[in-house]
Amino acid sequence: MKLYDVKLLTITCEILAQENILEILKKHEITGYTKYEVDGNGARGLRGQGFKNEKNIKIEVIIREEKLQDVVEEISRTQFANFAIVLYVSDVGVLRPEKF
Amino acid sequence: MDILQLIQANLLTPIILFFLFGIIAARIKSDLKIPDAISEFLPIYLLAAIGLHGGIEMRNTGFENMLVPMFVAIGLSLLFTLNHYQILRRLGKFNLFDSYALASTYGAVGAVHFSVGLSFLKNQGVSSEGYIAAILAVLEPLAFILAIFMTNMAVSKQIREKKKSFGDTDSNDIDVGLNQTKTKLSKVLHESITGKAIVILLGSIVIGYIIGEDGFEPIKIVFDEMFTGAIVIFMIEMGIIAGQRLGDIKKVGIFLTAFAVLIPTFNGVIGVLVSTAIGLSLGGAVMFGLLLASASFIAAPAVLRQAIPQAKPSLYITSALGITFPYNIIVTLPLLFALSSILHSGETIDLFNFLTGGLV
Repeated sequence: MKLYDVKLLTITCEILAQENILEILKKHEITGYTKYEVDGNGARGLRGQGFKNEKNIKIEVIIREEKLQDVVEEISRTQFANFAIVLYVSDVGVLRPEKF
Repeated sequence: MDILQLIQANLLTPIILFFLFGIIAARIKSDLKIPDAISEFLPIYLLAAIGLHGGIEMRNTGFENMLVPMFVAIGLSLLFTLNHYQILRRLGKFNLFDSYALASTYGAVGAVHFSVGLSFLKNQGVSSEGYIAAILAVLEPLAFILAIFMTNMAVSKQIREKKKSFGDTDSNDIDVGLNQTKTKLSKVLHESITGKAIVILLGSIVIGYIIGEDGFEPIKIVFDEMFTGAIVIFMIEMGIIAGQRLGDIKKVGIFLTAFAVLIPTFNGVIGVLVSTAIGLSLGGAVMFGLLLASASFIAAPAVLRQAIPQAKPSLYITSALGITFPYNIIVTLPLLFALSSILHSGETIDLFNFLTGGLV
């Protein structure tokens, strides 16, 4: 089995930032992502209780290394100051690199 | 009627008691929680009931007489938002973003306030004009749109001045800023108008208007008789969320705490006086005043986090939900009712003496 190296970008953020994140992904022509509602604790206290608007969301995107730099740069420049957000990148292997 | 007595009587209604119960449940860290689906469903249900009720009343009274109150409400709401901003910015020393976010939170209206008000009036056996539900729908996005517009204007002005001080006269960037403002505003406008709150409210008003009393009969049990019961369940949830935030009130500060109590009282009293002057009924004046006294805590975060992300949500949500909402449903509502009763009883009264006399 041959695995091809790509990057997995994982963004955990407040639900009200998700639209901005998805817009940035779209701008960089990334159409595929997976997202799910999550809760947890962090610098801004326990998140995910109470109103739906205060939940957190986790977005996973598989992305080629060439695009990664720009996307991460734009997210950190435009979103970090105002929203609760954590972002990390990991190495993953996929079978069909042409999909990403 | 004595205001204190009325407040006391109001305190012992199920709505208030369940709200306080929710706060206690949250404080003792109980795992009591209204399931997500239900707490998302209840605001939709409440708005549908408000809309139907309003639509049916409008069929009886017609539209023509709603125009004056509507425009007065719009004018007052915008005026109050600007007034809040001046108070917060100049006296409270809040930054531009927090000032506008808070100003619009208190300039906007709350559907939960409105539901509690309707149920309070029902309890007192008083009816109100149906078109106030339509005013609720129109006022909902208004204060936010004004605040977002003003914030963006202030920001682009700052950018312009900075540019000038660098001796850069290139106007392109300013145009870009203005265009961004426009797209932001049209996005907010679109999202508010197509948002679930306005859509269900307006839809129900239209349906209520079409079906009238006769058509309402078969669904009355759900949308009329169960109304107060549904609010009670929602109040448990509101109490729990308010209780979880009680610790944050320290962060809000004395100035904002005072603001969160005084401003709704002031706005509400003005609302009752003005609406009585333009001819609203006893109940109508209470609802009108309550609309202006209310602060938004469900719609506000969704709109403001997108449009003014620099503002701290902990300030506007905590003050609106943790301070203003309990204060309004416990104190302001009976106060406005007492004021409106006296104004409508035809006696001429000295308002100042009445207020102080009632409280002492």
